[in-house]
Amino acid sequence: MSLKSERRGIHVDQSELLCKKGCGYYGNPAWQGFCSKCWREEYHKARQKQIQDDWELAERLQREEEEAYASSQSTQGAQSLTFSKFEEKKTNEKTRKVTTVKKFFSASSRTGAKKAEIHEAKAPSPSINRQVSIETDRASKEFIEFLKTYQKSGQDIYKQCKMFLEAMHHKRELSIEEQSECAQDFYQNVAEKLQTRWKVSPEKVEKAMDQIEKYIMTRLYKYVFCPETTDDEKKDLVVQKRIRALHWVTPQMLCVPVNEEIPEVSDMVVKAITDIIEMDSKRVPRDKLACITQCSKHIFNAIKITKNEPASADDFLPTLIYIVLKGNPPRLQSNIQYITRFCNPSRLMTGEDGYYFTNLCCAVAFIEKLDAQSLNLSQEDFDRYMSGQTSPKKQESENWSSDVCLGVKQMYKNLDLLSQLNERQERIVSEAKKLEKDLIDWTDGITKEVQDIVEKYPLEIKPKNQPLAAIDSENVENDKLPPPLQPQVYAG
Amino acid sequence: MFKKNMAPRRTQQVRAGPSTEQSYVYKVVLLGSTAVGKSSIAFRYVKNDFRESMPTVGCSFFTQLVCLETATIKLEIWDTAGQEKYHSVCRLYYRGANAALLVYDIARKATFARAKLWLRELEKEFLHDEIVIVLVSNKTDLAAQREVTFEEAEEFAKSRSLIYMETSAKSNHHVTEVFMAVAHKLLKQEQQKESALQHQPWKKSRVDLREPSNQTKKCCMN
Repeated sequence: MSLKSERRGIHVDQSELLCKKGCGYYGNPAWQGFCSKCWREEYHKARQKQIQDDWELAERLQREEEEAYASSQSTQGAQSLTFSKFEEKKTNEKTRKVTTVKKFFSASSRTGAKKAEIHEAKAPSPSINRQVSIETDRASKEFIEFLKTYQKSGQDIYKQCKMFLEAMHHKRELSIEEQSECAQDFYQNVAEKLQTRWKVSPEKVEKAMDQIEKYIMTRLYKYVFCPETTDDEKKDLVVQKRIRALHWVTPQMLCVPVNEEIPEVSDMVVKAITDIIEMDSKRVPRDKLACITQCSKHIFNAIKITKNEPASADDFLPTLIYIVLKGNPPRLQSNIQYITRFCNPSRLMTGEDGYYFTNLCCAVAFIEKLDAQSLNLSQEDFDRYMSGQTSPKKQESENWSSDVCLGVKQMYKNLDLLSQLNERQERIVSEAKKLEKDLIDWTDGITKEVQDIVEKYPLEIKPKNQPLAAIDSENVENDKLPPPLQPQVYAG
Repeated sequence: MFKKNMAPRRTQQVRAGPSTEQSYVYKVVLLGSTAVGKSSIAFRYVKNDFRESMPTVGCSFFTQLVCLETATIKLEIWDTAGQEKYHSVCRLYYRGANAALLVYDIARKATFARAKLWLRELEKEFLHDEIVIVLVSNKTDLAAQREVTFEEAEEFAKSRSLIYMETSAKSNHHVTEVFMAVAHKLLKQEQQKESALQHQPWKKSRVDLREPSNQTKKCCMN
């Protein structure tokens, strides 16, 4: 390719355009180099194989899990390590696409583990095979262990969950709302059954429901979190962009009762941000809720230290909004939607977790609607900040705290000087232009004046003046004058 | 942000425990302008203390058990942000609520007007018998600066068939009574509903089927 490409830019050999199978027709990169006919055949073959593999795998897993349950011997641990973690890889890839750089700063213990999983996943079998990940595996083992404490009802629960998962498998084509309905119905049915048929005490029902949610949602997560059939991802991007555009919002504008100059408070703020970002890394709706609750607790602490009195909702919501703006948590809308759709409703609508989740929803709704008025700004200022022309931070740079990096301070100072210089230069230019114009106007004015005068008083060359005597000759009244006095001589 | 039809489906009450000893969970939201004393009322009720000297971290979410003769009721008290700019998003707070306290400050007429505004929002969202609403005029200890008279508020409450009470979180006047009134009213409604079902046994057997259809009916009316 080297020689040819040097000469002609891009060169594609005729043979490369033909179908890979060699049937003589042209291939297409969209069909991986096959012609349409061969591609259909290949694709069909692969699909059939995948379906078969799926079936085999499902059967095998079913057997294994039933064995494990019956014998209460957990033998899957060693095996699972050899499984390819296709789903894990897939979700990871997806995560990497969307998450922001901030994610790396989150003090998540999972990040490390995830990387290791990606690394592992690259090696084994082709990704066509659907396999279970370590996390799913661990969840099922824990679930089985847990159900043992419920004796007979435990077996029933297990059967119910299996049936539900299978039913969900066939419902993947349905809209996400319908799938959510199914899950909600399932939660309700199981809870009722536990209460009425197995006469389980309320506390135990609650515990069992948590475990059931954990078990089924770890398995369903990859299909129902931010599914392609919805526009969740688009909404995520919209929110993310919106929050980025609002980077200039200061605590003062939101009336946040948190003073970050106190080291303890800023520590709490950082922790709260970490928690809210970490929410995205959890699979089970309840774990996600726990992250939100943890974040809220840190916020309450921050407010308490600042104000020296416990926070009320009047203080809490603005601070939460500020934390969300500062943290810009990845896939915020997807997470909220996922929790709303698949969390056990008794958790979501009532209880502390539900309360904080509602607050988060309020915060996001507020951020989406936020305008100049809600930040106590004039519309012009708001527009200028939104368009990035100027930043409110610049004006405040004078009263910055001492712990701000010196370089940044210097930069803002320099920026300030530069903008001042720029302003002055502009003034000079405009003044100079004015002067030039004035000068031109002045000459024009003078010229015009002169011309006017010249026009008004044209230069006429009159004939030469007559002799003075002539003046008298015209005098008509001369006759009326008495005759001139004659000199007379008197004797004497 | 939420699908409207799924939100409060099972939130009316989580019935827990064996049938001999009924217990219910109810959600109570506190609505009102800033600094009318929403948090203080809740705090006074739950911790029997005033906000000036408290060790707790936050006071925006509380639970309190109320033991009545026939049942135990768990009240979940949700405090909300009262600033005007959050008014539009606060709809999310009272989704699925069973009771609402409309709190205003007797020394500030504007907060009474805001309470009326909240009431209009609630009436849009709920049917009349779906929610228990209490008009609470707080800060009776500031009687000297009173701007809203007792008669005016009582008349208004009567015209909208609300429960009306005057409280002072600071001097602990009538705070517990407010929540007890709410609990009694909620329980009474619950018992009415149950006896209605018992009188119509054919309906009781189909309660599961009926519930979603009820829901859709409500949506249409909104």
